[in-house]
Amino acid sequence: MDKAKNPADNAERVMMTTLPHAQDLKWPMLWWIGMEKLYRTLPWKKTAWTCAAFPIEIMWIYDIFPDHPENMATVAAARKQSQRLIEHAEGMGFSRDLCSYCKTNIGAYDTKIKKTLGGISKPDMVLCTNAICDTHWKWFQIMADKMNVPFFMLDIPKWVSGTDEKTLEGNIDYVVNQLYDLMAFIEKHTGKKMSEKSMQKVLARSMELTNLWRELYEHRKAVPSPYSGAETSASFFPLVVLPGVQVGINFFKKILADIKNKTAKGEGTMPAGKEKYRVMWEGIPFWYRMRFMYDLAQYGAVISFEPYTFSFAPLKKKCLTIDETLRDVAKLIMDTPYGYNLERRIEHFEKWIDEYKIDGVILHENMSCRPSSAGMIDLAEAIRKDKGVPVLILQCDMNDPRAYSEGQIKTRVEGFIELMEANKKK
Amino acid sequence: MKKLAYFDTSHEMPLEIIMAAGFTPFKIMGDVHKSNDPADKYLSSFFCPAASSWLAEALAHSKEWAGIVFAQGCNNTNRHYDIWKVHVETPFLHWFGAPMLEGDSAKKYYRVELQRLINALENKFGVKITPEKIREAIGKSNQIKKKMKQLSGLRSQKDIPNRDYLAAVIKCLTEPVDEVSAWLDSEITRWNAKPAFPSGKKRLLLTGSDVTYPEWMDVLDDCGIRIVRDDLSVGERLFATQIPESSDPLDALIEYYMGIPKPATRPTLKKRLDYLHQVLKDTKIDGVLSQNIKFCEPYAYDSVPVNNALQAEGYKLIHLERMYTPDADQQLANRLMAFVEMMDGGNNG
Repeated sequence: MDKAKNPADNAERVMMTTLPHAQDLKWPMLWWIGMEKLYRTLPWKKTAWTCAAFPIEIMWIYDIFPDHPENMATVAAARKQSQRLIEHAEGMGFSRDLCSYCKTNIGAYDTKIKKTLGGISKPDMVLCTNAICDTHWKWFQIMADKMNVPFFMLDIPKWVSGTDEKTLEGNIDYVVNQLYDLMAFIEKHTGKKMSEKSMQKVLARSMELTNLWRELYEHRKAVPSPYSGAETSASFFPLVVLPGVQVGINFFKKILADIKNKTAKGEGTMPAGKEKYRVMWEGIPFWYRMRFMYDLAQYGAVISFEPYTFSFAPLKKKCLTIDETLRDVAKLIMDTPYGYNLERRIEHFEKWIDEYKIDGVILHENMSCRPSSAGMIDLAEAIRKDKGVPVLILQCDMNDPRAYSEGQIKTRVEGFIELMEANKKK
Repeated sequence: MKKLAYFDTSHEMPLEIIMAAGFTPFKIMGDVHKSNDPADKYLSSFFCPAASSWLAEALAHSKEWAGIVFAQGCNNTNRHYDIWKVHVETPFLHWFGAPMLEGDSAKKYYRVELQRLINALENKFGVKITPEKIREAIGKSNQIKKKMKQLSGLRSQKDIPNRDYLAAVIKCLTEPVDEVSAWLDSEITRWNAKPAFPSGKKRLLLTGSDVTYPEWMDVLDDCGIRIVRDDLSVGERLFATQIPESSDPLDALIEYYMGIPKPATRPTLKKRLDYLHQVLKDTKIDGVLSQNIKFCEPYAYDSVPVNNALQAEGYKLIHLERMYTPDADQQLANRLMAFVEMMDGGNNG
């Protein structure tokens, strides 16, 4: 992958054309940063730390600002700060084997690094869920204890392979009951009451945001690919913390307009005629090394679909009552593609391979995310057998640059490209 | 009586339901002396090596078992269920979703999951799991817990090698309850007849990842350490509390399993510390040994706040990260001996 680093190669370097509005991502980010300042200034406003798969909408409904340690950890990685923060946390006793997001956050909080480098401030409360992993609650509980703030965890039952409908309904009941517990917890600690008007407004906006993202993914099925994983990995930010507010919707509308314009002209993110291989990427990106995705372009490969970024936009149902809404929310928390069990993963991945005309799949076996990495070997085998496309399993880490080995990754990627090429000639 | 195996990273599996179905509960603990092949083909190198060993055991022995029940525990191994479903040949594989929490919502869900387990066992094996049978199983379980507690208490009074205690716990988790009960009676007699606690040994509390093989216990003995208390799942968590016998048997199981001393896989940290504090209050110890098996995330997270809290209270504590192998543990002996020497140099607690 160091082909891209070599100045001698720059003359023939394939440049991806990012969308005109990619630059506009700064607006929702600035809005979010500004809002945090406002929420911290006004005494009646509240802030909370939260994590992936937590129903952020509930926080906006109660007018709680969602601060997001994982999101800030990715900022730290992109700003080349994560390694020193991780090492700081390891110096505090946290093992090398633990989640690099967690250690980045612990390091960031302890060193009081500034927000633009991935820093994060003390919240009024910590709200989390184990929907994605138990690391979330272990990490958030440790930090809530350290910061001495109230802590709430949503316990999400596991949707294992073969779970039947009746069991699923029981699981949903359990989550719905906890959502009521969550509302009681928030009301106790904020003194605020649920406003049905606010709920309807937030949910309508959230649905609009996710529908826009899903529509955007429909356009990604086009050949050549108009929008790559290199871009979605940055632009999905509004889905992380802004479902329920307008600013993300405006941003996605602009992206969508750009994509439509591009596909109408038959253009792709790669220069004309350069897109050779359409790749599906599963897992969290290497945030400290986003160039990896751009470097794939040097081989004619474009990331055309990622279950990870798609996970943040589940298909939401318009519901008429609170009960119905909470049942839908409960099911969606359990139904995130990033958390699919092996059977559902195989089923959906194979469907996506067809829909997005995928030539090869890269699975990031993430040392910081063991739950998502479990079953990848079987997943790879199933895809190779059923769909006949090459699969590359890359063992690495999302936020810890120490796990990234340039030479080894380059060798493996080049082997993967050769397999895709050979496969096309069959 | 045929064994029904269970995958359980702590003590979440309601053993009494398996007993009431007419089976001997058998905790899958792997074999550290055997290679993890072919489990290593399905699980990457950075997964819990103990869990890989369990899969290797299941791949080799599943046909000897009536079936397998997975209890929700460590999140890093929960998804192994899907892998077992593909590769392990068994006529019965069931997921038991033990909730993480313990409020009213969790209690309701726990009851749903207990009933689902009962229905699954009844349908598969043509048995009837009646409240009477569950009550009978609870009575037998409580007998084992009572006897184990008695046996465990002798660790700080008599000359009991560390491996003898581990062997007793493992027997309770793998062999028919009636046989174990009779065996425990004879062990209590045997242990009572042992000489007094050896004067040269240090009394330690063991906390962290589970130990499932005796070689590690021998290393501790060789270093002058006797484990007199612990908060392990293959340990005191099994018998620290009794199952209530008076109420509805499912309510009793819910109350018991939600109330046992917390492992690192269950919230909250405070509750886990509460048990450790109680242990330290009840038993005079010289120090604390905190151990973490490589890639065991839940205990690695806990080890920092737990160890900091205990050290801040003045307890002498050593934290070791261990590989899952009996051989490499010898390399830690020097550190342990230095720790023992350090304990000789001052007071504690």
